[in-house]
Amino acid sequence: MKRRFPSILGTAALVGMLWVPNGLGAAESGSQQAKVPVETFELDNGMKFLVVQRPELTTVSAGWVAHVGSANERPGITGLAHLFEHMLFKGTRTIGTTNIERDLEVIAEQEALQEELRQHYRDQRARVRRGEIDDPFDPAARTPEMIDLETKFAALIEEQRSLMVKDEFDQIYSEAGASGMNAFTTEDLTGYFITVPANKLELWFWMESDRLYEPVFREFYSERDVVHEERRMRTESTPTGKFDEMLGAMFWESHPYSWPVVGWPSDLRVISQQQAQDFFATYYAPNNITGVLVGNFDLAEAKTLAQRYFGRLERGAIEPPDVVTLEMEQVAEKRMLAECDCQPQAGIQYHTVPFHHKDSYPLDVMAGILNGRTGRLYKSLVLDQKIATSAGASQDSRKFAGSFGVNVEAKGEASPEQLEAAWYAELSRLQNELVPVEELQKVKNQIAADAFRGLESPFFLLIQLVYYDGLGHWEYLNEWSELTRQVTAEDIQRVAKAYFAPENRVVGLYQRKAGSVEEEMPEGFDEVPPEMQEMVKGQIRQIRQMESVEDLTGMVTMVEEQLGAMTSPQKEVMGVMLNAAKERLVELTEAGEEQ
Amino acid sequence: MRANKFSKAVASIASLGVLALVSTAGAAEVAKHPRDLKFGPLDFEVPDATAARHELSNGVPVYVVEDHALPLVDINLTFRAGAFLDDESNPGVASLTGTLLRQGGTQSISAEDFDERVDFLAANISSGSGDTSSSASLDCLSTVLDPSLDLFFDMLMSPGFDADRLQVVKSSALEQMKQRNDDPRSIAGREWQWLLFGEDHFSSRSLTAAELEAIDSDDLAAFHRRYWRPDQLVIAVSGDVDTKAILANLESRLAAWPTTTDLVPVPWPPAAPSFTPTPGIYHVEKEIPQGRVSLGHLTESWSDWSDPEAYAAMVMNDILGGGGFTSRLVKRIRSDEGLAYSAGSSYSRGVFWPGVFSASYQSKNSTVALAAAIALEEISRIQSEPVSEVELRTAKASFVDTFPRRFESASSIAGTFAGDEYIGRPHDYWTHFRDRIGAVDQAAVQKAAQDLLHPEKLVLLAVGPWDEIGPGDADGRANMGQLLDGEVHHLPLRDPLTLEPMP
Repeated sequence: MKRRFPSILGTAALVGMLWVPNGLGAAESGSQQAKVPVETFELDNGMKFLVVQRPELTTVSAGWVAHVGSANERPGITGLAHLFEHMLFKGTRTIGTTNIERDLEVIAEQEALQEELRQHYRDQRARVRRGEIDDPFDPAARTPEMIDLETKFAALIEEQRSLMVKDEFDQIYSEAGASGMNAFTTEDLTGYFITVPANKLELWFWMESDRLYEPVFREFYSERDVVHEERRMRTESTPTGKFDEMLGAMFWESHPYSWPVVGWPSDLRVISQQQAQDFFATYYAPNNITGVLVGNFDLAEAKTLAQRYFGRLERGAIEPPDVVTLEMEQVAEKRMLAECDCQPQAGIQYHTVPFHHKDSYPLDVMAGILNGRTGRLYKSLVLDQKIATSAGASQDSRKFAGSFGVNVEAKGEASPEQLEAAWYAELSRLQNELVPVEELQKVKNQIAADAFRGLESPFFLLIQLVYYDGLGHWEYLNEWSELTRQVTAEDIQRVAKAYFAPENRVVGLYQRKAGSVEEEMPEGFDEVPPEMQEMVKGQIRQIRQMESVEDLTGMVTMVEEQLGAMTSPQKEVMGVMLNAAKERLVELTEAGEEQ
Repeated sequence: MRANKFSKAVASIASLGVLALVSTAGAAEVAKHPRDLKFGPLDFEVPDATAARHELSNGVPVYVVEDHALPLVDINLTFRAGAFLDDESNPGVASLTGTLLRQGGTQSISAEDFDERVDFLAANISSGSGDTSSSASLDCLSTVLDPSLDLFFDMLMSPGFDADRLQVVKSSALEQMKQRNDDPRSIAGREWQWLLFGEDHFSSRSLTAAELEAIDSDDLAAFHRRYWRPDQLVIAVSGDVDTKAILANLESRLAAWPTTTDLVPVPWPPAAPSFTPTPGIYHVEKEIPQGRVSLGHLTESWSDWSDPEAYAAMVMNDILGGGGFTSRLVKRIRSDEGLAYSAGSSYSRGVFWPGVFSASYQSKNSTVALAAAIALEEISRIQSEPVSEVELRTAKASFVDTFPRRFESASSIAGTFAGDEYIGRPHDYWTHFRDRIGAVDQAAVQKAAQDLLHPEKLVLLAVGPWDEIGPGDADGRANMGQLLDGEVHHLPLRDPLTLEPMP
């Protein structure tokens, strides 16, 4: 979710996640499992490294993960973890400016003005409470003092821009033949990654250690506004965005997962640079970070470079605190009835278990039974009953807690209630009948094969290591296959009974708002596996909200570059997103030219 | 894709103010600026194609690249079949045969059952057909290679071409056909092809609704029987296989492939178009805010893969408009003038018939002419002036730096070599590629531009509203009447279902 290519690649990586970890090694023979030889080492300052040597390559895919996400925030600073991800592309004392002294002075002056503004917003919130104004951030409700402060601030922004070397971080990498630079933030982790030519690994060490060693949070406040825009685009302007956010907040009662990764809008308007500095000191200390390399390099040299570059970082003064709030047990069903500009649909979500919990494996297999063109949901709801165009299920195993979700989109005149009922019928089959041997084997076979396919690309291997280490247990990469192989039909029946009681569910039903029109999906959408169609639609809606030609062009370039190396289903997913991005580009330029 | 390009302009600016800043003791060995780092060369050798090539007893070449890192196998069969074999009275059969092969089950297994079985094995099986080739692919776990091959070859040898599935495919094709004129891209693509290659060549053919409707399962079965056959193949295999074992396996499967007694000869290479484009300005009316333009001409076909001028042409095009943000057309049309978000050029040699040189862009209607004038200016400039040292270096590096990535996986190695054989490209094209690019100098780029670009042969196609495009920009910097010979041929829009000119 960085500023250039919002979330797209991050999501692609997550797409990989949904498929890769859920399986077992070669079910037919049990003889081969996806064991990846991962070397580990640790620096004195506590920074860990996971490295996989692939001498046949001419590149190194390199990344690092900070063990911090939106779950580490608190009310008042929601969205900060994600904002941070953006800030780390803004440069350092060396990269991104022509005059660091003046740059730092400007930043200090900006901070002082913003502190004054924050005091005014305090007053504005009080005015809202008294009913004098409706929105503390309404530009029309600003006082003359606020307008004056903002004018002064705008001048400082202008000055800072004149000192900046725009996108220098990006440029230096590109000149060196590196590609695919991006980052993503989730509730649990923040990952940064790129692929560099094998002879330029030192450049990666230089650049990445520099932005941890001497970052400059340049353009902090304008980037905060960019994120606010991003929020508007993703959440507020998409047909189901606001409802999905509400459903998330309904689902998680006490856990910090209840707020969105992008943050609440009122927090985004007042987060301060000091809060960002504190956050950085606590969560971006080397002892909270793991570096990951996959590719062609010499191990001893990598260790030397790691020490030389990342060894400069000082261990954090305090250990990053744990997330201590546990989710309260849900004691009654919750329902949301929404009207939106969207195809009627139903989403049903249950509290289950976190990452690496023993029951996450049967839940993954259960999702596999339901998914795919020959899976139960598609065959029953789409082909037989003809009430749905797509249907999918997934176990979402996060670091601290997990959920199981089913999403169905209506076809023709079918109502969301019909979809909901059809799911309960499928559920009761799972609860009352053992999954036949052959069907179970089919799913295990697919999961196994897709897992191996997921290891073919060094880039996706990197992403998996970043992701699993971010969730606290990279060894999962080499362990899940055996654990999933052991799942029995009885296990599936047991979890289907244990976690799917009505009082443990949250149901969201979406009716089409009167007068809204059906949306069309770009070419290639039919190729996307049915259980992923909902997720892909969400991405396409975001792409359709994007306003920056530059971002879109960058995205198109990047995806086209990587498409060749992708395998099913990432390839289909990214292919259709690529089409959406291209369509949007045309729209934007046409609109832009009209003005 | 060679998109991320070089821009050295800012290199020296950035280091001005920072010299004294890195002072921490631990950082003593660290270069002050990343541009000060020194890197060794990137070691890479092109894999040996001869070692990968084998031949079955019927003469079919099989490229095998073993890779035992993961228990996965990729097999791709490329058939000499495609639209070039379509009966003129029944076009579209080749293409639908390719699509339905995978979707239509087999003679002994229903379409649904076939899907189930493929899913059970967790295999991916696909098929498809283009103008000059058709292919079928299997990727699966090596542990289930044999049962997967059973299904794969059952599909290849005795496909079912299920009539219901054919109906589904046809109705979605018809839906797409109806949208033919919605998107200016598809109008431009169709007309551009016709302007350069004529309407009659198979590569130019667009199906009408009536032609689509006329195709039935029997047509597909007949086409398949005639042309999808074991003597017209190139095979690529990669992954977790033993070379000897997979060759023996393929040998026996191909031997079991029933062939008809009346094998028709396959005309090879496919017939080239016999059309000569007429230079000039062409226009299709379409109410859109942004005109879509291509201008270009036919090029050569590859007769000599070692021809130094071919490599000089690649570098030349990269500098002119192929190299993304640093290329001249992008800089001028997009960055300097802000006339378009996308602009660029491509130069390709054809394999079976001439290729195409073209520059294309989209621009708001009133500046279509201005952007065209700039493109013409740049074409003439690259012919008359040598390119700069920096441009040359940057363009050459972009070819050389990304070259190794083509050979990074076993499947792309096997696929590249099999592709060579299919189109008749010698394998040493790859061994010599970087040296041949390396040998290109400024004089060679200029000579290639002079020899290979022909302003007098240019065809310009503009799609958009003529009342805005024709007069040009408000400042009077350019109008369409000033370009080329100034004469404009207005082409009719075609009916999406019949392709007949619309009034």
